[in-house]
Amino acid sequence: MNRNCRTLGLASGFALMLALPAVAEVRIGVLVPDSGPAGLFGPSARNVAQLALEDINAAGGINGQPVRLIFADAGVPPAQAVQSVVRLWRGEGVHGFVGMHDSAVRAALVGQFRGQIPYIYTPVYEGGECAPGTWVTGETPAQQLAPVLPWLAENEGATQWYLIANDYNWGRGTSAAAREIIEDFGGAVVGEEFVPLGTSDFDASLQRIRGSGANAVLVSLVGGDSVAFNIGYGAFGLDDRALRLGTLIEENTLAGIGAAGSNRLYAAAGYFGNIETEAAQAFAARYHESFGADAAPLNTLGQSVYDGLLLMAALGNAAGSMDVAAIAEVADGTGISTPRGEVLLAGNHVAQNVYLADGTGGSFSVVASFDAVSAGVACE
Amino acid sequence: MTETALLVLLNLTWQIAALALLALGLAIVFGLLRILNMAHGEFVMLGAYAHVLTAQLGLPPLMAVPLCLALVGLAALLVERLVVRHLYDRMFDSLLATWALSILMREAVELVWGRAYRNVALPVEGVTELGLVGYPTYRLLVIAAIAGFFLVLWVWYRRSLTGVRLRAMVSNPALARASGINTARLSAMAFVTGCLCAGMAGLILAPVMAVEPNMGLDALIRSFFALVVGGLGTLEGLAIGVAVVGGLQAGLSAALSQTAGYLGVLILAILFLWRRPDGIYRRR
Repeated sequence: MNRNCRTLGLASGFALMLALPAVAEVRIGVLVPDSGPAGLFGPSARNVAQLALEDINAAGGINGQPVRLIFADAGVPPAQAVQSVVRLWRGEGVHGFVGMHDSAVRAALVGQFRGQIPYIYTPVYEGGECAPGTWVTGETPAQQLAPVLPWLAENEGATQWYLIANDYNWGRGTSAAAREIIEDFGGAVVGEEFVPLGTSDFDASLQRIRGSGANAVLVSLVGGDSVAFNIGYGAFGLDDRALRLGTLIEENTLAGIGAAGSNRLYAAAGYFGNIETEAAQAFAARYHESFGADAAPLNTLGQSVYDGLLLMAALGNAAGSMDVAAIAEVADGTGISTPRGEVLLAGNHVAQNVYLADGTGGSFSVVASFDAVSAGVACE
Repeated sequence: MTETALLVLLNLTWQIAALALLALGLAIVFGLLRILNMAHGEFVMLGAYAHVLTAQLGLPPLMAVPLCLALVGLAALLVERLVVRHLYDRMFDSLLATWALSILMREAVELVWGRAYRNVALPVEGVTELGLVGYPTYRLLVIAAIAGFFLVLWVWYRRSLTGVRLRAMVSNPALARASGINTARLSAMAFVTGCLCAGMAGLILAPVMAVEPNMGLDALIRSFFALVVGGLGTLEGLAIGVAVVGGLQAGLSAALSQTAGYLGVLILAILFLWRRPDGIYRRR
């Protein structure tokens, strides 16, 4: 009898706990890579999410309700990511998702959501995502390259391009976008090459670049591949012959490449840790105040989670609810101010500033910036 | 044209030299102890991180050499005493144990130094002009050093008393023990030496690689292919293996594409595992 009573008490206790999420709050699922090849970007992504949470709640949350973030590891295979996302969605009643992960995971999630819950995808990617209920803040190849390639042609004489890329959708997409822009302004593509992900030895590629007569190289390699390529490039002294441009060379990659390998290595992105605008400087100062001087370095991938969360809050507030149909009504034209500058939804992608930085000497300095560049993705 | 040919030849030499250095440790441990050390790549990685530790301690760059020997040697000795010595003659168990060990070492290094890429500055910068083409000076120095080292090693193994004892232990452990050779000590020494070679390979190649906690896997795979092709367990086999694998990869990459180079090596390795598991150079 006594035991039954206790069981009953326990059961009602659990029922109460289950009912608890009914407390008025907006729950946002934040999908960041804690593991896997992109795990390097997990710490900075989590840190900036914390800052975004402070800012959103200080400004009154979403529709007057405080926001709570629930994190999940998105550095896992797609099927596994879908499992944890469904757990957050159906189990914890998450109202919207902000994701910084690879395209394979995005494709799986879009298939799972089917436009039933607002989802914002934030990292640099190859472009082309048009699923309903999905908004994209990450830089696309067209966005990064359209203003930058003509600028490099005019100011650095970069007209003969060699394109080297990892052989997967982002690398292929970036090379294709570059070719179009280069041919548009009258430059020429003198060589194009795709290498498998995980290549560590680039001697043969470097030899082809030397023989191609290129005066510029577009490096669309990721992570360790990019580090190994650029180290070899510097060691062979090719930096005197041809400048390099990358659209995914961020602070961590540059640190791996080092000073000797980074002469005339340019990077184009929507964000760098040391952009010299007031908003960006204040953001960086606050980041290091909150997480220490030796916190994971700020970079465009990690920082994108801040923009994603701010946009989610702006959309929820503009729509007056987190209902995906209501948000879709008001989304176009919604804008936010972030460390990147003014970010404005046009369609389901954003127009944003693009910065060109020179990595010579092993650290970035911004040499040109381009305002409100379109993502160049037109969805039906 | 001759310019390109010279460059291809130099790249080929570099590939083979670097691969020989990477694979030596794995060859020693397998040849002498019949243990496929799956943590081989992690000892390479540990050697590379000796540079990072040296910089952190504010020591001059050359101190990375003794630091590497101490760090890797200590780790290898610990591993031999605690794990590996119980698994001699148990090939599959030792494979699993060292695989687990490799995961442990990766995680430990990530815990201490984080996942970030580490740059190791070239000790010798610049390009040396060799008639028609310039080649990175550091690479030329490393090629020369590796060639000299292997020559000495080969002579030592053939001529010295320890070499004789080692060969006795490999061909007949029971008889070697009966003749008064302390095979337990010899085995420990062989394992530590193999790991030290891996560590030194990491130390020497770190300035030309992306240094991060997961870098070891690539080193293990490439070394393994070289051993499969050349034949496990002899210096001669190792030399043939690295020449064939390194040459094939560099040649196909230069002639066709990187993908072709990678594919060629994979196909070759599969063919050898399938048709000729003893490799080209059979132990007599």
